[in-house]
Amino acid sequence: MTDPILEVRNLSTHFFTDDGEVKAVRGVSFSVSPGETLGIVGESGCGKSVTAMSVLGLVQRPGKVVGGEIMFKGRDLLKFTKEELRNIRGRDIAMIFQDPLSSMNPVLRVGYQIDEAMYAHDKIPKDDVKPRGIDLLRQVRVSDAERRINDFPHQFSGGMRQRAMIAMGLSNKPDLLIADEPTTALDVTVQAQILELLRDLNEQTGAAIILITHNLGVVAGLCKRVLVMYAGEIVEEGTAEQIFERPQHPYTWSLLRSVPRIDASRGHRLLSIEGLPPDLIDLPQGCKFNPRCPFRVERCFSESPPIEQVAPAQHAACWVTMERAYAEMGAGTITDTSPGAASGVHPGGRTLPVAEVQAAIGGASGD
Amino acid sequence: MAAIATPALEEYAGGTIAREQVGLWRDGFRRLRRNRLALAALVYLTLLVLLAVVAIFWTPYNPATILPHTLTFEAPSAAHLLGTDDLGRDLLSRMMQGAQISLIVGVGTSLIVLTVGVVVGLVAGYFRGWIDTVISVFINIFYGIPGILVAIILYLVLGRGLLNIMIAISATAWMDMARLVRGQAFSIREREYIEAARASGARSGKILFGHILPNALGPIIVQATFVIPIAILTEAFLSYLGLGIPSPLASWGSIASEGYAALPLEPYMMLWPAIALSVTLLAFNFLGDGLRDAFDPRQRR
Amino acid sequence: MLTRGTLIYIAQRLALILFTLIVVSFLVFITVHSLPGSAFESEKVHGKALQLVLHEYGLDRPILVQYWSFFTNAIHGNLGVSFQIRGLPITPVVMRELSVSAELGGTALLITIGLGTTFGVLAAIRQNSWVDYTLTSIAVVGYSVPSFVLAGLGVLIFSYWLPTVTNGVISYPAEWSGTYGTILELSLPAIILGFYTSGQVTRITRAAMLEVLQQDYIRTARAKGLKSRVVTVRHALRNALIPVISILGPLVISIITGSVIIENIFGIPGLGKEFVESILQADYNITVAVFTVYALLIGIANLIVDLLYTVVDPRIRY
Repeated sequence: MTDPILEVRNLSTHFFTDDGEVKAVRGVSFSVSPGETLGIVGESGCGKSVTAMSVLGLVQRPGKVVGGEIMFKGRDLLKFTKEELRNIRGRDIAMIFQDPLSSMNPVLRVGYQIDEAMYAHDKIPKDDVKPRGIDLLRQVRVSDAERRINDFPHQFSGGMRQRAMIAMGLSNKPDLLIADEPTTALDVTVQAQILELLRDLNEQTGAAIILITHNLGVVAGLCKRVLVMYAGEIVEEGTAEQIFERPQHPYTWSLLRSVPRIDASRGHRLLSIEGLPPDLIDLPQGCKFNPRCPFRVERCFSESPPIEQVAPAQHAACWVTMERAYAEMGAGTITDTSPGAASGVHPGGRTLPVAEVQAAIGGASGD
Repeated sequence: MAAIATPALEEYAGGTIAREQVGLWRDGFRRLRRNRLALAALVYLTLLVLLAVVAIFWTPYNPATILPHTLTFEAPSAAHLLGTDDLGRDLLSRMMQGAQISLIVGVGTSLIVLTVGVVVGLVAGYFRGWIDTVISVFINIFYGIPGILVAIILYLVLGRGLLNIMIAISATAWMDMARLVRGQAFSIREREYIEAARASGARSGKILFGHILPNALGPIIVQATFVIPIAILTEAFLSYLGLGIPSPLASWGSIASEGYAALPLEPYMMLWPAIALSVTLLAFNFLGDGLRDAFDPRQRR
Repeated sequence: MLTRGTLIYIAQRLALILFTLIVVSFLVFITVHSLPGSAFESEKVHGKALQLVLHEYGLDRPILVQYWSFFTNAIHGNLGVSFQIRGLPITPVVMRELSVSAELGGTALLITIGLGTTFGVLAAIRQNSWVDYTLTSIAVVGYSVPSFVLAGLGVLIFSYWLPTVTNGVISYPAEWSGTYGTILELSLPAIILGFYTSGQVTRITRAAMLEVLQQDYIRTARAKGLKSRVVTVRHALRNALIPVISILGPLVISIITGSVIIENIFGIPGLGKEFVESILQADYNITVAVFTVYALLIGIANLIVDLLYTVVDPRIRY
């Protein structure tokens, strides 16, 4: 096992707004090995984008990284000067964003924007820049690259623009490419093409990829390892297989149960997660998912669970874990996923016997 | 996919956090109150209006009277707080009268522009068709003519007088307003509740004034506020050239003109109207800015 | 860039300008000739002698006939003759004064754009700092304080309190040496005129920059590791200039309006001064001529601005 190229330790980023201090990212730790594909999954507002932006020092006022270390090739990025960070950006770590139309400058030619990424750093010799630009465009499968390189962004289609953005990102042969929701703004068929492209580029160039998305399906296609984030924390991480087939955190489990599947049986019910994510200014005590978790226990209200190993190479932050939920709370046959429904535990100490709760649920009419 | 739509919070990397949905008007007034410059401007203007109202009933001296026992070009003194002018008239009284004139011309012109511009704009923007084409062509032709030239000519044709100067200045100013209103009518027209109103049989007039106008009110008010300093400035300049308010009426512009000619002897006479005009125009501009910032929906944080 | 579409567009616009000129000159002609009084009336010339003079100038013909002859003459570049100065052809006079006004206006335009964009950019990148508040306030002061106030202040400062600095060149009452004045004489009026309109440019630039800096492509540019000055100028400013160009048209009109005022204050022999004089002296042919020239100027300026769009924003093509 080689040393990871990126190691994030206990990263915390807060936003100091007029309405209060938004604790967007709290104590996030993960690492990326060379050439690895890592997916970061979570709903809007869970902190995944902010985490990525923090790595490159792109978080703007009123946001600020308030703690932790970001070790890139052994050096802490948070201690870098502005100039040193600028050097890393686009050269060793590259980032591409969600909407390729608004992410490119409309008044500059596509080729110019790709080339300027290379001119700005010293990795590619000046004379090689222009031909490499055309080459990159070919690599990302834009046809007629020699002509297209002189076009303006509005002359490209959505998928082509994103490919151009990928070309821009990879132009300086970075060690790590961070892709923040790269397919969200695209059609489904184009999405698949982009993901395939990213996979191939990962193999060809050996650049590690962090893929940020709220779409589980996207992650399944590309990433070897997956992180699940909720309300600013990592709640689970493991290999793609583990996450999809044996999720241990109730949130991950709920997400998977709520995705419609073509191969599901007719009677298979889509389960929803009741409630809303917590207010990041005024966070609840204990486990942040407890207000919505069907399997919560007493401890979840008062203590926040640490990330612990639940299987080889898999970690989750939960007092209960799905293993126990399946064994003791009837998670396999559950029909009601309202908070505390399966465990019978509610705030204020009201604890109903599980069997009575299930009987009550089974007898209730409607949903 | 995420199981539940989560509207409460969005990624902050450059986006906005919307913690509560506040009504546009309430939010706007709240922001306006926080804008200290706009508030200061409002206070000043209120005082100015009060001064002008007082001047209707009382001024220290008659602004037109040449006082027999005073000297000309007196410096400010106890008897004449702002001094006297080149003919021995009390400057404070004349300045108060000037305040009346400036305010009347400013607000009056704005009202004319408001009325004409809104009506024309609404008609053009809502009914479209040939009416809109005719109006638009008309506006496009005359849009480029400098208002001041037209104002000078029109004013001469109409003859001197307060109402006439307001008409002369509005002659080109209404077109800007009409354009703005037309644009607003265009876009608001397309919104669903207008279709709903039409489907339920509401008459055009009711739709125009009951639905479209209220929604366009924000930018319209801002624009109307900005017409006032332009009108005051134009009138001041015309009076300065001797083409404006006839003497012996005192407009700040005419006082300034007489003061400019007397500059080597007596700086005060030009100083007072200069200050008054500058501060008043500044106040209106700050107020307009404040209104615009307060009601701009894109600026909500 | 000079595509067929563009040429057609230019042709259409020129036709529109011509149409506008006809309508405007007609209206002004009629209006002005309906004014009471005439340049020829005085104690000496009345009665039969007046009739003769009027006939000599064709002023006793019906208005429409008069306009028609004016129009046909104008097309050939002959804008008529002056009343005041008997028989003086107007065209060369107007042309000369046009160049003077252009000198003043052009200088002022450069000052306006230079000052305005610089202030606007600085205010935007240091938003809400003291730099921002100061520059924004200067901008508001710029277009609030009337130009004759600034002019008076300028004359006061430079003629009386600092006569040594300018060697008493800016004298009072201000005058203009020769046709084009000296640099020193040009500087004060041009600066005042330029400062007056720069306020608008500052505000628009600042607002545009603020909006552009929020855009995603700025985030991309930073993520690419570009130097911050490069991001500001190459990426942000180029896009922010687009709304600025959109006010260039009204800006030219503002400068023209302002030049009318400034020329009269400083005694600069340009179109603005001529316009006012011609009205005061009832020399109406000149009034019509000047007005028409102004309208032509504005029409062409607007056309140039619209063409400028295609250069700056590749998404716009006619």
